[in-house]
Amino acid sequence: MKAIRLSFFQMLQYMRRDMMLFVACFAPILAGLMFRYAIPFLEIVLTDLFNLPAIISPYYALIDIFFAMLSPVMFCFVSAMVSLEEVDENTAAYLFITPLGKTGYLAARFGVPAVIAFIITTILLPVFKLTSLSFVEIISLTIGGTLQGIIISLLIVTLSSNKLEGMAVTKLSTLMIFGAVIPFFIKHNIQYVLFLLPAFWIGKAISENTPFCVLLAFALSAIWIFFLLKQYLQKI
Amino acid sequence: MIQVSNLSFSYTKKPFISDMTFSVSKGEIFGFLGPSGAGKSTLQKILIGMLTTYQGSVKVNGIECKERTKSFYEEIGVDFEFSTMYEKLTARENLEFFRSLYQKKGRPINTLLEMVGLEQDADKRVSEYSKGMKSRLNFIKALLHDPVLLCLDEPTSGLDPTNSRMMKNLILAERAKGKTILLTTHNMQDAAELCDRVAFIVGGKICALDSPHNLIMSRGAATVTYTWLDNGEHSISCPLNQISSDEQLRKLIAENRLQSIHSSEPTLNDIFMDITGRTLL
Repeated sequence: MKAIRLSFFQMLQYMRRDMMLFVACFAPILAGLMFRYAIPFLEIVLTDLFNLPAIISPYYALIDIFFAMLSPVMFCFVSAMVSLEEVDENTAAYLFITPLGKTGYLAARFGVPAVIAFIITTILLPVFKLTSLSFVEIISLTIGGTLQGIIISLLIVTLSSNKLEGMAVTKLSTLMIFGAVIPFFIKHNIQYVLFLLPAFWIGKAISENTPFCVLLAFALSAIWIFFLLKQYLQKI
Repeated sequence: MIQVSNLSFSYTKKPFISDMTFSVSKGEIFGFLGPSGAGKSTLQKILIGMLTTYQGSVKVNGIECKERTKSFYEEIGVDFEFSTMYEKLTARENLEFFRSLYQKKGRPINTLLEMVGLEQDADKRVSEYSKGMKSRLNFIKALLHDPVLLCLDEPTSGLDPTNSRMMKNLILAERAKGKTILLTTHNMQDAAELCDRVAFIVGGKICALDSPHNLIMSRGAATVTYTWLDNGEHSISCPLNQISSDEQLRKLIAENRLQSIHSSEPTLNDIFMDITGRTLL
């Protein structure tokens, strides 16, 4: 545990030297403030302007889903970037042959950030949510978001070989979270084309009030994580 | 310290290392010599527990490598050929972090930095270091936790003659402290100078294993070559152990007509070529 803790703190120290990664850690708070205050204000402006009862508010639940995924995705993105740099600099390979080991390294770079993202999202989501989510819904969304963050970080480290490629893969892999949009807008069975995306089932659970779909999202996330972790371990 | 029996390993279906057996005693400097792709790095990875899907038995410090636990690494220090440092951190920050991962208190960082002449650059970022400075820093990183086994991969690569000499002296000093050292190198001169025993590895097999001196002596004695003038320059070589029966040489010495005379011993590289039919250079 000592080696995992020290390795995690070392990652934080390293992040302080990289402004992009440092700022990314605060993105959820900035986004939360915007979601919580700017969007309702925009809704008032737009409904007044077009003289309609609601324009954005029917999709506030979708915004809450995005926010639940934002913190984990940002934290996991940051740790994935650090991990890629460690692969570039060969420090990852060296850490494997210290008492930290491969398992400890994975825990320090993916497990601990995911747990922290979970805790932070559990705190921030009730503060910045736009809908009246119950405690169970908040925890479900946070778990779903955290698993999504782990999937994205594993996609980044598995598919890219350096930070530049990592940035490109980040852009592509974050598209996965837009799976949550589909059940809100497409009611036809064609929506199931995206059934492999965990975010799709999270969106479906909230938009159609079907809690069972959250379990499907968790199961699907576990499968994604299992296969990506296998690929990543083969790569390193 | 190391016992390897009937070791075989393969990345694919084709065997990459086959049926290797050797042992390394405590306090010995043992060299792995071979061309690129011979299996040296793979063997080193197996010995440090990075590859565990091997057949046979590989025991390091009494522990079967495929059954290693985290404590296995408390007694192993590895110096890779390439830099394994955080470039954005200073040398001191790197060393402090890596030392903190071990249970053992290890050696004082300042002493290690002084040992390799980096004390003045300790607070510089590693990205500002030259290749030679990084090599020296890498080396002391392997010593941080005062391990009993050191695995050094091309430790003098990229160093100027002065620093190369310093590095070799440091390796010998570690041996004098009782450390066991595994040296992987292409450099035959380093191997001959440092190693108590060397193993020639080609095609995943050990072709020869002995002390550099025994290997050299087993392939014939040194020769003596001498030249003299007699309507042009003439040159003859004869084995050193038959020099007393060389009438021509005796005559030239008696007549003070020798132009030059020198002896030449086969090098470890010559022996490597003799045994394996390949060259490292």
